Amino acid sequence: MNITKEKKDDINVLQVEGRLDTTNYSELEDLLVRLTENNEINILLDLSALEYISSSGLRILLKYLKVIKAANGRFMLCAMTKDIREIFEISGFINIFEIFEDQAAALKS
Amino acid sequence: MAHYIHFRDPNSKEIEEKLAGIPKCPGTCFFIDVINSTNIKYKTELKDWGKRLNNTFNFISFLNDFPDNVVKGIGDELMLYIPDEDLFSKTAYNNYFALLEEIYATIDNLVNYPVPDTFLNCKVSIHYCTEVYNISYFENANDYYGIDIDLTARLMSKAKANRIVMSEKFFTKVKNDLVDKNRRIESTSLSNISPVYMEDFKGVPYPTEYRFLDIE
Repeated sequence: MNITKEKKDDINVLQVEGRLDTTNYSELEDLLVRLTENNEINILLDLSALEYISSSGLRILLKYLKVIKAANGRFMLCAMTKDIREIFEISGFINIFEIFEDQAAALKS
Repeated sequence: MAHYIHFRDPNSKEIEEKLAGIPKCPGTCFFIDVINSTNIKYKTELKDWGKRLNNTFNFISFLNDFPDNVVKGIGDELMLYIPDEDLFSKTAYNNYFALLEEIYATIDNLVNYPVPDTFLNCKVSIHYCTEVYNISYFENANDYYGIDIDLTARLMSKAKANRIVMSEKFFTKVKNDLVDKNRRIESTSLSNISPVYMEDFKGVPYPTEYRFLDIE
């Protein structure tokens, strides 16, 4: 998995590429820990290059959704592929995140 | 696919020859039992409990390549079996530690899902099986039989809502994976694992060591 980070306006845009599962979720978690501890609580995860997410990956997203919401921040997702969207639908996670078509739509919101 | 066992003659010698030739199929067996569903069936209607069961089964079985390894459902319980050769060739997880982490994460997600009344809680038992055969007495059905499958079921008696019970035999596999990766369990999501306990399970001629992990 590869994660690239850039700041656009006030929002940290993280592009996650590859697979997010038990072998590598700690990389994303470490980054989210650093951001939230620095009070950088507006985060957009661009999932256009995410091939697969497992329960471990979903767990990290849920954990930091709660952390960020408690800090009055926003944890948004965008650009899901069809396969990723299916995982989010079956797991019910589609109903608990702010999800956008693409980065532009998320940044405009 | 399972070896199909079906011989009409109860005195058949052929069945004995066939059974003697079936190899063992080592791997990991786990049961996931949806709890409180009977209670909810008395308190709510089909449209409510049926929906929650649907959501919970989908959640458990769709993710993590688990669909490939669902052996059967028995009421509110799912039996899954991952033969070692399958486990080592998976991509989402390919060792016992990673498998346990994915099971843990699945239950954790069910527990912490923020919209109430969407899912039902579960309990899990896991055992590493060596005395096990991939046989079925029903055509085109898959199944596994052996004393280690029975022990996996017995372990469930030590489980409760949001708890994973595992045999020490399975946990030893997990520990070995951590050693291979130079990791300590304290630095993983499994840091709250209990100390080892011992129990005489019904029908098992020797005491069995086990541990558990509670998800909050």
